[in-house]
Amino acid sequence: MEQYKDLVSLAPWDFIMQLGNLLILMLLVKRFLFKPVQKILDERQQQTNGLLEQARESQKQADAANKECQKQLAEAGERAQEMMEQAQKNAARQAQQVIQQARQEATNIKQQAAADIERQRAMALSSAKEEIGNMAVEIAGKVVEKELDESTHRKLIDEFIEKVGDAS
Amino acid sequence: MNVSIEGARIYTTLPLFGGIPITASMVNAWVVMAIITGLCIWLTRGLKVENIGKRQVVAELLVTTCQKFVIGNMGERYAHFVPFIGALFSISALCSLSSLVGAFPATADLSTVLSWAVLVFGLITYTKIKTNGFVGYLKGFTTPIAVFTPFNIISELATPISMGFRHFGNIVSGSVISTLLYAALALLNQAVFGWLPGVLGEVLGGIPFLQLGIPAILSIYFDVFGSFMQAFIFCMLTTLYIANAAEE
Repeated sequence: MEQYKDLVSLAPWDFIMQLGNLLILMLLVKRFLFKPVQKILDERQQQTNGLLEQARESQKQADAANKECQKQLAEAGERAQEMMEQAQKNAARQAQQVIQQARQEATNIKQQAAADIERQRAMALSSAKEEIGNMAVEIAGKVVEKELDESTHRKLIDEFIEKVGDAS
Repeated sequence: MNVSIEGARIYTTLPLFGGIPITASMVNAWVVMAIITGLCIWLTRGLKVENIGKRQVVAELLVTTCQKFVIGNMGERYAHFVPFIGALFSISALCSLSSLVGAFPATADLSTVLSWAVLVFGLITYTKIKTNGFVGYLKGFTTPIAVFTPFNIISELATPISMGFRHFGNIVSGSVISTLLYAALALLNQAVFGWLPGVLGEVLGGIPFLQLGIPAILSIYFDVFGSFMQAFIFCMLTTLYIANAAEE
């Protein structure tokens, strides 16, 4: 014989069992659906936050690198300018030096030439004096028709030539 | 022709605590619980953070929808109610839907829905006492003036009763109407085709042609729409009552 409850009835055991069923189902759903899914959602949130943080960090780094580059570029430009100026200065100085040297050399050469001329003149003069002296002795000997004693009169002749040389 | 509408069938009685009757509504609830748990396990198998599959999309959608519903109605501090509301909605909706496959729905048993309603009533009262203190809770019955106390008590007790009976009544009325309609259609069938002469009338009158399409249309309303509607209303009232209790 099949037994049925009344359509509208309140059975204590059904009441207790269904209350327990709901609570058990709550625990089951929590354990098997909400907890694992929430964990994944949290993980994703964390990952997204991490990525965002990372992106911000790299943006900052890129900005810093950019600034550094800009600075270095400016510095390099400055240095190039400086070097160019230095090179120009150097070139000018060197040119000056070369000119100076050339001038010095020219002066030296001129002086050398003057000294040479002087020396040669002196040499020519001295040899001329000697020649004249000899000629004078010869002429005098011929004039006096008497062999002059070379050694005795030599001193006299020389004095004479000296006087002539002074006069000339 | 007699049409009888009965409650849950009692399969057997366990010889424990003076006899626990195992009824169709209990078995139905257990089967539904097993299905829900199995579905949860299946949906959350191999969860990934990136490159998620279709199953995970569904699982995440269910969880976030439930969270939005609870937090939207009750606020962020009641986030721990999410699994309770999820369980309540799923067991209510699926038990009612099980009538589609001919099972006796646990929600068509007053004991079931009334137990849920009493649990909700307990939560409401707990929240009220926690918010206002025990004295404040008792004082709440004398508002606006002391004369209102009996009415306040009645209205307080009416909450679980109305919740329980609303759910029970809606589901059971669906099955009552379906049963009546089936019986009526069988009679109408006999009346229409029974007029045919001889053996033809007997054979055609015995085949319930009219039961073929018409009950399905009603079933869409009572079984499918009604199931979700009642589950939704029950959960909505639960969250709103508890949130309301916390505000006072």
